[in-house]
This record gives sequence, structure tokens and C-alpha cells, in this order.
Amino acid sequence: MSRVVFEGATRVFPGQERPAVDHVDLEVADGEFLVLVGPSGCGKSTTLRMLAGLEDVDDGRILIGDRDVTRMPPKERDIAMVFQNYALYPHMTVGENMGFALRIAKVPKADITTRVAEAAELLGLTEYLDRKPKALSGGQRQRVAMGRAIVRSPRVFCMDEPLSNLDAKLRVQTRTQVAALQRRLGTTTVYVTHDQVEAMTMGDRVAVLKDGVLQQVAAPRELYDHPVNLFVAGFMGSPAMNLFELPVIDGGVEFGTRILPVPREALTGAGGSTVVVGVRPENLAVSHEGLPIVVDVVEELGSDAYLYGRADGVTPPVVARTDWRNPPVKGTTTHLEVIDPDAVHHFDPVTGHRLGR
Amino acid sequence: MSLRTRAAGASPLMYVTLTFVVLLSAAPLYFMLVMASRANSDILGIPPPLLPGDQLVSNVDRVFANADVQFAEALLNTLIVASVATLAVVVTSALAGFAFAKLKFRGRNVLLVVVVATMMVPVQLGLIPLYMLMTKLGLAGGLASVTLPFLVSGFGVFFMRQYAAQAIPDELIEAARVDGASTLRIFWSIVFPALRPAAAVLGLLTFMERWNDFLWPYIALDFDHPTVQVALSRLSGGYYTDQALVMAGTLMGTLPLVLVFILFGRQIVGGIMEGGLKS
Ligand SMILES: Nc1ncnc2c1ncn2[C@@H]1O[C@H](COP(=O)(O)OP(=O)(O)OP(=O)(O)O)[C@@H](O)[C@H]1O
Ligand SMILES: [Mg+2]
Repeated sequence: MSRVVFEGATRVFPGQERPAVDHVDLEVADGEFLVLVGPSGCGKSTTLRMLAGLEDVDDGRILIGDRDVTRMPPKERDIAMVFQNYALYPHMTVGENMGFALRIAKVPKADITTRVAEAAELLGLTEYLDRKPKALSGGQRQRVAMGRAIVRSPRVFCMDEPLSNLDAKLRVQTRTQVAALQRRLGTTTVYVTHDQVEAMTMGDRVAVLKDGVLQQVAAPRELYDHPVNLFVAGFMGSPAMNLFELPVIDGGVEFGTRILPVPREALTGAGGSTVVVGVRPENLAVSHEGLPIVVDVVEELGSDAYLYGRADGVTPPVVARTDWRNPPVKGTTTHLEVIDPDAVHHFDPVTGHRLGR
Repeated sequence: MSLRTRAAGASPLMYVTLTFVVLLSAAPLYFMLVMASRANSDILGIPPPLLPGDQLVSNVDRVFANADVQFAEALLNTLIVASVATLAVVVTSALAGFAFAKLKFRGRNVLLVVVVATMMVPVQLGLIPLYMLMTKLGLAGGLASVTLPFLVSGFGVFFMRQYAAQAIPDELIEAARVDGASTLRIFWSIVFPALRPAAAVLGLLTFMERWNDFLWPYIALDFDHPTVQVALSRLSGGYYTDQALVMAGTLMGTLPLVLVFILFGRQIVGGIMEGGLKS
């Protein structure tokens, strides 16, 4: 049993008023891959480092398994960490790097050799075991950092943006490898990233953090389909969800020439005269009716094309997925219509909370 | 001068200047050799000799043969004193430098200021109290009296702290902590290897300083325990100074330093190169 529990975990850095991590309650099940995601400076690394024992916990508790580890030094927590810049020991070979923790734990030499060899095999590092880190490519170093964590068979993996130093292509490749490796080993993993695509594709569940406060913890699909507030709605998804603040008119909102129905529970929740309507780009289609927009840019990504346009009375540019074979022409006016009214999100314009289900 | 020539290499003027500087700094060493290899009468002649003579071996023999000077014993004494002090300074400075640079503890900044402040006290100021202290401890006269006060160096601590602060990323230490290493283990396995280039520089500087120290050993040591510099001073005492003899002794007293420099200088350069490639 190696679940991880944060109970009101709080970290206030000395000399700062606002906590960097603010009463985080979070439970990671045994064997689960949990991704911590959020914008830069939101406290992801700090949360992870609190779990690893590298940062003090000013309030609350952290449990690993059933043990309260809040005040324990890292070495008593039986966790392994993969750092963003890998932090490989520069004067040790790949094999020594991977075996270092075992050597400290006084594991017999022969055992160390076998376990390192196994991990190296798993990661395709066998031929590099005698090299120093400086003679490796970025991707190979990344794998050594993973190997160093795997060899120990710890209770929990802590990973802090381990892929962010790889080039785009390798990152995508490694993403699936890391996720597959975690499934295979079944080790509880907390993974920090600021990349919401990584979060969506890798995690069993995703925890979204903003200004040190946990916003939502849910499976990627749930997070995408039912964001609990404006922040999560805008953060998850690329391109981001369109958010329109629209006046309420008898049972719906005015969306250009159409009236979008708004469920009653959302309307009663709103209270005011406007409601924020969230529509994902893929839920908008070019049409001869609906919201009139002027097309500014058409971004063609090969399989998809996105059009960016301006609409009257809507401040941020509107994004919609369009047919890449037949995209609208720049500078022309066209209309956008909502494809599936049930997949439209509603939020309270004041609190930002989700309205209705 | 075009940009390209500047990028490609030094200008002729630069070469001439550098050659001149090299000659200037090598000249004393060269004339030491010249004088050490000639008879005293030759040296004082006008014009003075410019080339080495053939009396080096006999001059050196005379240095070692002089019972008042005890030159062989002095060499050995200095080697012991300088080696012990160097080893101690390197180890303590690396330990303390690591602590000041990478560990958080209460009073860290105040202590560092105290350490730096010790560098500002002139040695001469401490001579008399130090002598009294050594007498009280019953160490005055022996080698311990010139070793003990120099086992720790404020400069060394500060130097290693500065190097450790920039050469060792915090993540490296955190990684070792997560791997289960104790602080001492982190020092030996992770930090010290990274500090090696700085340790070599500090070791060399300390060894030279101890080897060349004169004033305190001259005061503290008794007749039977001279260091090299003290022994050299005995060569030139008396009514009549045999310059050839003094220079032969100086040459013998300098050679070990040159040797150490050649041995460790390579390591230092190697260390610097390694550091450059790593980043
Ligand atoms: N040692 C520290 N001392 C003081 N403040 C700190 C310290 N470390 C982090 N902070 C502050 O705490 C907040 C959270 O930092 P943290 O490193 O956890 O962010 P992050 O979510 O990991 O961001 P990024 O994606 O940029 O890595 C930031 O506002 C940061 O300035
Ligand atoms: Mg971070």
C-alpha cells in the first residue's frame, strides 16, 4: 500500500505572506499516475518537493502508505525523484549513477549489478553504462535519470517536469514511454508539468493548481468535459476554450443570430443578468447563421485547421476548428454556430464557478 | 587591427609583450642558477657572469655539509609541516566551504563574516600572543608550533565557499539526499569530487605559503628544528656571506616547490578544462 495523501499541506516561504502551497488536500491511490499541472509559479514543484522531503511543511500532513512522513528526511520516505535538469552525478558513470542509492543502502554488490543491468536493459541504456553523463545526449541523460529512480523500486516516484529539456519530437515519444513504464511497474507516481497536453495524455488523474490552491482533481476526460471553474476551463485544452460573457434572454443567451439554450439550473445559479458561456473550438462550426466574426488568421496544422477571428462585443479572439480542406478566407466575415449545445459550459461571471452539471 | 586577427590569435605586439614578461619573471630563477653554479669570487666580478658555471655540485655539497645549517633536516621538516598544513587546510576548507555554501543553519551569515574577518588581522599582530600560547602548551620550539596554527585558513574556507556556491547545483545535493545519502556521505561522494579543481589550487597556494613562511618559524622554532627558510637565513649569517653558497641553498629550497607546481599544475589545468566542458 503506497498511496499518497496530502492533508491541508501548506508551505509559506520565509518572508512571504502568501503561501506558495495553500492547504492542499489530495489523495493519490496506490499505483496511480497523478499529474500536477498549472501555470508557472503556481506551486507545483513546491508541492512535489514537500512530498519528497526537500521542502518543509508549515501546516498539514503528508502520508505515504499509512506513515506520516511530514517531518521525515527524504531518505526515510522511500521515494525517488527525477529532476527537471536530471541532476546526474557528473563524475560517476551511468552505472554508478544508477547504483548510488543501492550502494548507500548497503545492497550487496552483485545485487546492485543485476538490478542496474535490468533497469538499463529496460531503458535501452546497456551500452552506455560505462559512460559519464557529459558524454550522453539529452534524451539519454533523461533515461539515466529515470533509471536512477527505477533501480530503487521506491514506493513513490516524484517527477518534476522530466521531459521539459527534450526537443518536441522526443518529448512526445518519451511521454508515452514514461507512461507505459509506470503502468508496467505499477509504482505510485506524482508527475509535475506545466504542459496540459502531457497532463491529459499521461495521467490517470490530473490535479490543477493555481496560486498554490488546488482547483480540481479529476480524470483527464472529466477535467476536459466538466471543468469546475473558469480557470480550469481556460487552462485545459489547446487551443483554449472560448469564453463569452453573454446577456441572459428568456431561457437562453444570445449567440449572434441564434439563441443558445441555457439549462435552468445554470440560470438559477447565475443570479445576475449575464452568464459566461464556454465553447471549445471543436464545438464551433462555420455556418451561415450564428455568431458573425471577421476571420483574422487561419492556422493549418495538417490534420486540423483553426480559425481565429473577432466578434462584436467579445474581447478575446474567437477560435474554431474548421475543415482544413476548405478553410475560410482571411479578412472575410463568416458565422460560427455551436454544434452540440449540450457540450456548452456555463460559469458564474462573478465567482467563476461552474453552473449546472 | 581587424576583428578577424583579434579573434584568430594575439597580435605580434602581444607576443613581444608576453615574451618580455616571461623573461622578466624567469630572470631571477635563471640568475639564481647562474650564481649557484659559480665560485663566490666570480659572482662579484664586473661584468657579472651571464652563463652557468661548473661548481653547482660542490656548492650544493657545501650547503648540505654545513652542520650549523642542518639543511637536509630542514627540507624534511618543511615537507612535513607544509604537507600536514596543506592537507588539513584543504579538508577543513572544503568541509566548511560546502557547509557555508549549501547547508542552511542558524548563524550561517554571521559565522561567515567572522571567518572573513580573520583574514583581515595581520600575521605580525598575532606573533607574540601566539608565542605565549605555544609556550603555555609546551609546544614552542618544535614543529607542532609552526603546524598547529595553520591547520585552518579563513581564506581557504571563503575560497571553497565561493567555488562550491557556483560549481554545485542544489539539485545535485537534493538528488543525493533523496538517494538516501547522509550529509557527510554527500560531501565525500558528490561535493568533494566537484570541488577538486578548487582544492588543487588551494592546496598549491597553501603549500607554497607554508614552504616560504619565514617570520613565525624563525621566532617559534629552536635550533634543532629549522625549516628551509630558517636554514637559509643561517647560510647568510656571520661577517662574510658566501653568495654562491646562499644561492645554492636557495636553489635547493626552491626546487621542491617547482616540482610540486609541475605535478599539481597539470591537475589544476585539467580541472579547469573539465569544468568548462561540463557546463
Ligand atoms: N526557495 C524559495 N524561496 C522563496 N520563494 C520560493 C522558493 N521557491 C519557490 N518560491 C516561490 O513559490 C512559488 C511556487 O514556486 P514553484 O517552484 O513551486 O512553482 P512551479 O509551479 O513549480 O513553477 P514552474 O512551472 O515555473 O516550475 C513561486 O511564486 C516562487 O516564487
Ligand atoms: Mg517547477
